Amino acid sequence: MRARPSIQRHLLLLVMSAVAAVWIGTAIFVYVDARHEINEVLDAHLAQAAGLLNALRSHDIAEIETEQVPGLHKRARRVAFQIWERNRLLLHSANAPAQPLAQQDAGYSDALLAGRRWRVFSSRVGERVIHVGERADAREELAREMVVGLLMPLLYALPLLALLLWLAVGRGLRPLANMTRQVSARDPDNLAALDVAAAPAEIAPLVEQLNQLFRRIERSIESERRFTADAAHELRTPVAAIKAQAQVALGAGVANERERALKNVMAGCDRAAHLVDQLLVLARLDWTAESRPEQCLMRVVAVQAISDVASYAAAKRIELELKEGAEAQIEGYPALLHVMLRNLLDNAVRYSPAHTVVRIGVSATDQAVAVSVMDEGPGIPEAERERVFERFYRVLGTAESGTGLGLSIVQRIAEMHGARIELGSGDGTRGLRVMVTFPRRRSAR
Amino acid sequence: MRLLVVEDDPLLGDALQAGLRQAGHAVDWARDGAAALHALQSEPYAAVVLDLGLPRLSGLEVLRKVRAAKNQVPVLILTAQDGVTDRIAGLDAGADDYLVKPFDMGELAARLRALVRRAGGQSDAVLRAGGIELDPAGRRVRYRRELVELSAKEFVVLHALILNAGRVLTRAQIEEQLYAWGEEVESNAVEVYVHHLRRKLAPDAIQTVRGVGYLLPRDVTS
Repeated sequence: MRARPSIQRHLLLLVMSAVAAVWIGTAIFVYVDARHEINEVLDAHLAQAAGLLNALRSHDIAEIETEQVPGLHKRARRVAFQIWERNRLLLHSANAPAQPLAQQDAGYSDALLAGRRWRVFSSRVGERVIHVGERADAREELAREMVVGLLMPLLYALPLLALLLWLAVGRGLRPLANMTRQVSARDPDNLAALDVAAAPAEIAPLVEQLNQLFRRIERSIESERRFTADAAHELRTPVAAIKAQAQVALGAGVANERERALKNVMAGCDRAAHLVDQLLVLARLDWTAESRPEQCLMRVVAVQAISDVASYAAAKRIELELKEGAEAQIEGYPALLHVMLRNLLDNAVRYSPAHTVVRIGVSATDQAVAVSVMDEGPGIPEAERERVFERFYRVLGTAESGTGLGLSIVQRIAEMHGARIELGSGDGTRGLRVMVTFPRRRSAR
Repeated sequence: MRLLVVEDDPLLGDALQAGLRQAGHAVDWARDGAAALHALQSEPYAAVVLDLGLPRLSGLEVLRKVRAAKNQVPVLILTAQDGVTDRIAGLDAGADDYLVKPFDMGELAARLRALVRRAGGQSDAVLRAGGIELDPAGRRVRYRRELVELSAKEFVVLHALILNAGRVLTRAQIEEQLYAWGEEVESNAVEVYVHHLRRKLAPDAIQTVRGVGYLLPRDVTS
């Protein structure tokens, strides 16, 4: 399993890499600079040594026993000299090679003798030529030692720095840990906002988003809670009515009183069953959303819905009419559109007086397809048009026993299709006109 | 006795009216809060059955307005929510009792009888005065331990008189307990029922206070 990315580890790695890179860069610069300086200084020394040798007289040279010169310094053996006169080697240091250190007889030169690189200063006075040379690797070594001297502390310092950084970063991330503790210590019902003021600037946006999420969850829980309570109320009333009517039937002294009560029992059962159906439709809408939309022919759906409510309309002496027009196609869920239109038609028939007409229209433009249902009933006052979509809301003064869920279902289905619902008056001032406008999908055209 | 049912649901309201009528009461039915308030302001009811979820004016608002007007009519609330907060709110607003839907008609009638009895200052289920024993639950009347057969209307008149034993009831007050809205009031009906009662019980069981009404004397404990 891969380790989870950690801000602390990540930060530490970045900072340590940066520190190491800067340090190494510094070392390279120091190395280059030091080598240059070392060359300058040592070249000067070579020139000085040549000057000193020049000052020696010829008979002094003959008496010098170079083999007896003690190694005064650990680097001394890397420096060599030769004194030539008329191609004869007069004097040389013990470590000097047999051939001349340089081909030229004045100034600086680099030579490769017996596999070793030398830096040589030569000077001529009369017949005598003096070469003073130094092994180049000595210089390299010096520069290297300086760099190593600079890098060595890093080896000890880096782990210490890492430890301190680890602690510092951990401390810097403490507000995050505090926030985590605060959230994890909550019980699931607690959806109160987290304290944004206490959060550092880096976490504040996250806390703000969390709080917004909490608010959304709270709202949805609240609406579910209210829905459950309302559903209980709406189911209890029909059940209470059924029970009371049944008891009236049992206690009835005369046959027609009993019959009337029993008919009311039946009506109550129908109403309760209808309510349960509507609740189930509403509950199912949530998972139906996951299936794929398909091409739906609106007039075909309208005809299906019309045949569903036809016998109910006939019993109420209400005429249904599908207005002439061309077929219109949208992308959607045919079963849901069917439920939607059936609910709209059921409402229209339910609230229309006898001997009126309920008209259904399907129309299309390039951008949208609109379905309208128009009745000649009492309509809905403008002030209440927003509220009728609330679950269980029923317009006042209606004798009809609706469930108060029909328009909630219609609205939910409209939302799933990206459609817009408009409520208006029917022809003239009477009646209600419900218009659902579906946008045409770009892919459909 | 005369009852007011306040219920917006057509089927339930109908059942309440029919069921309480079967129990021998005159029942008026108001379908919203505003109508209920109007009825309560104009008619004297023995008790009220009040649904809380009403259009126009909620049950609680009706109750508060009624109590604010110093109307002490016994009120039983019907509630669909089984949450305790609803019932507390109802009782605090001045309700005397509550029932959660769905309920039993027999229990509703019994609770209403108990409410009316308590409102009349009686705690015994059987009302007694002048040798008369009236059992509202069993709808039975005894005079000097003998069972007396009474018609429904006669029972209502005697019930009203015995609930108010020692107080004079006007003829109008008795009539109001006899008839619900829309029922035709027969002239001299109260005189006729009082006459029947005197014949079935005793000639001096109910006294006439001339120009005022009728009185059933309260037992004086010696």
